[in-house]
Amino acid sequence: MQIAAHYKYIWLILFLIIGFSVQAQEKYTIEGMVRSTTGELLIGAGIKVLGTNKSTVTDNEGKFKIHDIRTGDHKISVRYLGYVESVQKLVLVGTPVIRQLKFNLKSIHNDLAEVVVMGRTAVKEVNRQAFNVTAVDATKLYNTTMDISSALDRVAGVRVRETGGVGSSFNISLNGFSGKHIRYFIDGIPMDNFGSSFQINNIPINVAERVEVYKGVVPMWLGSDALGGAVNIVTGNKHRNYVDASYSYGSFNTHRGVINAAATSKSGFTVQVSAFQNYSDNNYKVQLPSRLTNVQGPEISLPRFHDVYHNETLIANVGVIDKSFADNLLFGITMGQNYKEMQTGARPDEVFGAFHRRGNIVMPSLKYKKTNLIKGMDVTINANYNLGFERNIDTARASYNWYGLRTPKAAYGERAHTDAKYYNHNGLATAMVSYKISERHSVAINNVFSTFNRETKDLLIPANDKLDPTKKMDKNVLGFGYSYDIDNKWSANFFGKYIYQNNIIESKNLNNVTEKIGYGFAIAYFFNPNLQVRTSYEMANRMPEATEIFGDLENQDPNPTLKPEKSDNFNIGMIYGFSLNKEHRFSVTANGIYRYSSDFIYNTINLLSKAQGKTISNNKEGVSTIGVDGEVRYSYKNWLSIGGTMTYQYLQNLQKYEDGYTSESDVYLDQMPNIPYLFGNLDASVSLRDIGKKGDHLTVGYNLLYVNQFWLYWPSLGSSNMADKNGIPTQLAHDVNLVYSMKNGRYNISLEAKNLTDKPLYDNFSLQKPGRGFYLNLRYFFNKNQQ
Amino acid sequence: MTYMKTMITKALSVLMFAAVLSSCKKNNREVIPENPGNYILAVTPVAQTGKADYLVTASSLEEGKVSIIGNGVEQDGTYRYYVTSGTKFFSMLYGRGNPGAVTVYDVKEGKISKLSDFTAATVHAFAPVNKDILMVKVPRAYAATGPTLANWYIVSTETNVQTSEGTLDAVAASQNGEIAHFSWIKQVGTKIFAPFFSIKNNSFETDYPDFAGIAVYSYPTMQYEKTIKDTRTSFIGRYFTDGLAVVENGDIYAFSSSVAQKGGVLTSTKPSSITRIKAGTTEFDQTYLMNFETASNGYVITNWLYVGQNKFIANLEVKATTGAYVDGKRLAIVDVVNKTVSMVTGFPDAASIVNVTVNNYSPKDGKTGYMGVNLTDGTTWVYKVDASTNTATRGLKVEGGLITAIQHVK
Repeated sequence: MQIAAHYKYIWLILFLIIGFSVQAQEKYTIEGMVRSTTGELLIGAGIKVLGTNKSTVTDNEGKFKIHDIRTGDHKISVRYLGYVESVQKLVLVGTPVIRQLKFNLKSIHNDLAEVVVMGRTAVKEVNRQAFNVTAVDATKLYNTTMDISSALDRVAGVRVRETGGVGSSFNISLNGFSGKHIRYFIDGIPMDNFGSSFQINNIPINVAERVEVYKGVVPMWLGSDALGGAVNIVTGNKHRNYVDASYSYGSFNTHRGVINAAATSKSGFTVQVSAFQNYSDNNYKVQLPSRLTNVQGPEISLPRFHDVYHNETLIANVGVIDKSFADNLLFGITMGQNYKEMQTGARPDEVFGAFHRRGNIVMPSLKYKKTNLIKGMDVTINANYNLGFERNIDTARASYNWYGLRTPKAAYGERAHTDAKYYNHNGLATAMVSYKISERHSVAINNVFSTFNRETKDLLIPANDKLDPTKKMDKNVLGFGYSYDIDNKWSANFFGKYIYQNNIIESKNLNNVTEKIGYGFAIAYFFNPNLQVRTSYEMANRMPEATEIFGDLENQDPNPTLKPEKSDNFNIGMIYGFSLNKEHRFSVTANGIYRYSSDFIYNTINLLSKAQGKTISNNKEGVSTIGVDGEVRYSYKNWLSIGGTMTYQYLQNLQKYEDGYTSESDVYLDQMPNIPYLFGNLDASVSLRDIGKKGDHLTVGYNLLYVNQFWLYWPSLGSSNMADKNGIPTQLAHDVNLVYSMKNGRYNISLEAKNLTDKPLYDNFSLQKPGRGFYLNLRYFFNKNQQ
Repeated sequence: MTYMKTMITKALSVLMFAAVLSSCKKNNREVIPENPGNYILAVTPVAQTGKADYLVTASSLEEGKVSIIGNGVEQDGTYRYYVTSGTKFFSMLYGRGNPGAVTVYDVKEGKISKLSDFTAATVHAFAPVNKDILMVKVPRAYAATGPTLANWYIVSTETNVQTSEGTLDAVAASQNGEIAHFSWIKQVGTKIFAPFFSIKNNSFETDYPDFAGIAVYSYPTMQYEKTIKDTRTSFIGRYFTDGLAVVENGDIYAFSSSVAQKGGVLTSTKPSSITRIKAGTTEFDQTYLMNFETASNGYVITNWLYVGQNKFIANLEVKATTGAYVDGKRLAIVDVVNKTVSMVTGFPDAASIVNVTVNNYSPKDGKTGYMGVNLTDGTTWVYKVDASTNTATRGLKVEGGLITAIQHVK
């Protein structure tokens, strides 16, 4: 009932606004391209119709388009850092209603003015928000075999922890927060309930245009109760008509294929298709202790033998774009499935030879967006419903050892006799209305409603289905934001969130309603165009996720008594760019964070699970985090780029008393265990242009991953001697890649070598990741311009 | 070059920041050095999450301090069980039905050193037998098809590998159709005695609450030989608790807590008692019965530690608050020959105790036992209990957690 009431308010406000300002006008559209006087495409240049609030930035091809410009005399201004502003006069009267414009900007010969560092241009605008945000330019990674999660691993403050190879479980840690503290979005739509067939560990990077990582304070328009940060995958509508197909093959019988294509008619009817597939045997070797191999002496390595993973996903959208009633109106469907063999539990001690999972996603969706529905007002509406299921199959009447040897036994099931389908019945509806009151003031309202209702179909004993207790969760996040903006001087955002959650946990006889209010601000100040300082604060609330309360049916046990977490969240950061005689360009980004979380939700090994092989979420009374991270990039002319990131974070246990005790806890003020706290990345790439013939380019890249050793259990307890304490050893992984592209990127061949030194890598205690691997990737890209 | 410099500068400043943070993080806690010796204490931290057990050595249980803060060999996880066989100390993970890792240690010059590790099935009872460790895993429910079987495993303490395994009929021993769930196993001469509670489901319910049974097996073939039966008491021992003791003259004493249950209530009509099997026989001695409840003025016995010369340190619980999993926090000296129960003085109040260690140590000199105690004020101690004076005195202080086991390794 509460939720319905929220919707009423939104629509009420919406109608009030519409009622005030409907008026008929002749509408014009301008479109065109921005280049430098030397012919270089300028990406991210700002276009503005002076005296109005209409503006945009150029896309990856230097193109822009602005709709709904009224009849009359106008001045169009184009600005780009390091270039002289260009203004063109334009008289809009009569026909045609679409006008073409071309801009050629002249470079300012001022060394300090040029802040554009190679490799970061397209995402610069995002990075300049007041929020603590980093955007990864996905287009630069299209010739790799990366998925979204591995691309994130290169962002300062971000650590992706995986339990194995392709398709394995992952956990992203962002400034020390991890698991469900971090929320994922695709084009601003929460991905919480998409299921295992469509997750950031199986979405190839090529599906994205950029990936935005919000650390800490998450903008209101993303509408969620994220507390540690958010990852937003922006797929964008890069091209109206194009085909981008790639296929890779490599070690451990790994195949990946991606096809992205769109066709758009002149009338605006569009079909967009994105299809991808991953397959891997994941049969890489892992080092095992003698107790698991029965070979005394030094540890030996055995291949993983039950770890095949594959997934196939198709996303199709049909609709219209660039219409008077909608910028886009798309009806779509996401269909996918995945198959995953379970090699181990949370430890290699629990080894399986037949236990596996399947999952699928069948998700119809609706996307609607209209800018300037009435002057200054933008409306976005999204909705989807996931009809998919997850299925666990553990029916073997045997146990297996690490040699893959099957030993028959009397009882069914390796872990527990199961064959059950789980329908989570996830639904989602979001609506966002933003209104630009004047040049500098704007307001927005955002509402996100989601529902979860897990239904179990026991395929072994169907009679059990009737006994299955209700597991239901409805959540609504209503946000309001106000922002004040003086271009290139300063900007401020203030926002509030109202979170409503209703959990029905029949097994515990619970029907709880929780309501929380959160608020915050984000301010950015530009000392000069090249130096930005930003700070943000949020009083954030995070509700327990369905998977934390009800379990993930894989390696996470349910905890129905989990409490919401509350956190004070401070961020401060700066971005500075400069160049020396225009050839050497530098950019420096630095961020500092402080968090204090009460009822911190923390994932640990469930001591009560079989062989202590599963994890569970628990509340910790208080945890504080202090962190710093930074990124330095350097580029020379347009052929050399070197960058590095470094992150240090210190999470401290502030729970002073353990339950049932009156004295100070021995681990009070201790560093939280099993969380990486010092890590970084180093990358370098050399691009050689016009090799052989014009339009053929060669890029050679190198990436180094570093994660400092950390302890599995409390650091202060036990001897700190490595031999007497369980730790996750320091990781150093070297990756190299080589990309050869022909005809200005139409055909691309790339070769990648991962973990070149073949050192055992671990993100999680004793769960080894793949060793050295080689991958060949072929990509074809074709783009046909309409006009 | 400039770039490298920046990176180095940054890395350095990060490290400095780290150093400053870590140096100011702890209040000045006393640093307790290692305490080399042949006693091994297994300590479980009080922390509720992310914890593992630690093994520390001590030279004496009667004085001094040991700490797991900065000391001790970390075990992989908690919920572990510890057993000593001669010079070897075994640390076993309780895998809840799945195999668990077992790590073997010895003590060299007062320091714990790891010998090997292996994987063993999760078991419900284990005991040193000759130069082996015998382990038994008992089902809690009837097999859907075929006979209901318990599994046994024998691990050699000389080679640290499993030397044999087999199954035994889990129902036969009860002779009443219910599962004979071993409370513990014990070597008696050349035989294995396995006192059991008879259960009909995994809620541990029984229709035979006034029945004590001990299954007898040959070793090492684990052939079932007979069941020693009695109807004067309820079952012998408790879940994961050794209810049998062999005294110097070869007689075997057994205790019953009288905690058989059905439908969530205790159903035995028999009082908590101690019974006897004379040396060389395989029948209960019908001439001997010690009613523990009358001898102690209203307590039941929940566990005991044999200290030699027919004397035990017993854990006592008030009859009204007893239960299948309630561990008594009061101590008494029990003389099984004279059938006396004498309360121990000098031991902390039950109200101030969080936990009394289950796995304790006695040199079997007829008077001394060492009991671990964790108090609500957060401190943990080894108490020396003197069975000749019925007194307890504070001994070794243990910092950082609860004592799970006190063992002596030669």
